[in-house]
Amino acid sequence: MSRSVWKGPFVDGYLLKKAEETRASGRNSVIKTWSRRSTILPQFVGLNFGVYNGQKFIPVLVTEEMIGHKFGEFSPSRTYHGHAADKKAKRG
Amino acid sequence: MTGGEGKTPERVCLGVIVGARGLKGDLKVKSFAQVPEDITAYGPLEDEAGSRRIDLRVTGQTKDVLIARAEGVGDRTAADKLKGLRLFVDRDRLPPPDEDEYYYSDLIGLTVEAPQGNLGTVRQVFDFGAGDVLEIAGGDFGTVMVPFTRAIVPVVDIDGGRLVVDPPDGLLDDNGPDEGGQDA
Repeated sequence: MSRSVWKGPFVDGYLLKKAEETRASGRNSVIKTWSRRSTILPQFVGLNFGVYNGQKFIPVLVTEEMIGHKFGEFSPSRTYHGHAADKKAKRG
Repeated sequence: MTGGEGKTPERVCLGVIVGARGLKGDLKVKSFAQVPEDITAYGPLEDEAGSRRIDLRVTGQTKDVLIARAEGVGDRTAADKLKGLRLFVDRDRLPPPDEDEYYYSDLIGLTVEAPQGNLGTVRQVFDFGAGDVLEIAGGDFGTVMVPFTRAIVPVVDIDGGRLVVDPPDGLLDDNGPDEGGQDA
């Protein structure tokens, strides 16, 4: 069952506070968070987060397309050593 | 993948033969190409030593592997002998990437420099959905994850075998305490 709309998106309060502080300071620093359950809000766009996956902080640069998703979706917690012989990385 | 550290690899592993299928010499092939069927798109495949050429023809696909026929392999016994064989192609055969695009295989092994010191070499490249991320290890800061963006990785010198990283605050102190704290 999906979350009731009247509740609004869930975000841990401390994460929201840290994001607002970082945005207000104008510093380009990484916001480390363990809050994988928090929803990505529009005010997070452009900020750099480090989302903990149980071992390390995976860098997540928030873009508009990520709004509404949870932080944990971008920081897999299971090891995957994939092969990508002809896969290309594009510098964002 | 083969190749020396910091240089474009000469050959790229595109797949591996994982077994035989049926009695007529069909092979089960695990493809490492981004689009699995592209394993045959870059010309003839060779074994690791480059001494044996394998002409593959993809005939089908299951959930995890491709089904293929190889020239000169007509029965299951011959197919079984190829089990475990890794399939390589010359790096030069891959199409040139667009501007600001780099093959994962070219990035892996590059030396990474930063103002804070030597970060090590690129060990892996990931894409978890939030853009490409470089895993860098073997330097002064242990294993670090760095987003592959123009702001953070301003210089990519494939020929020179190096990357220059300009990490934002907090990116390198991975295991350090977080400022501000969080609820328990």
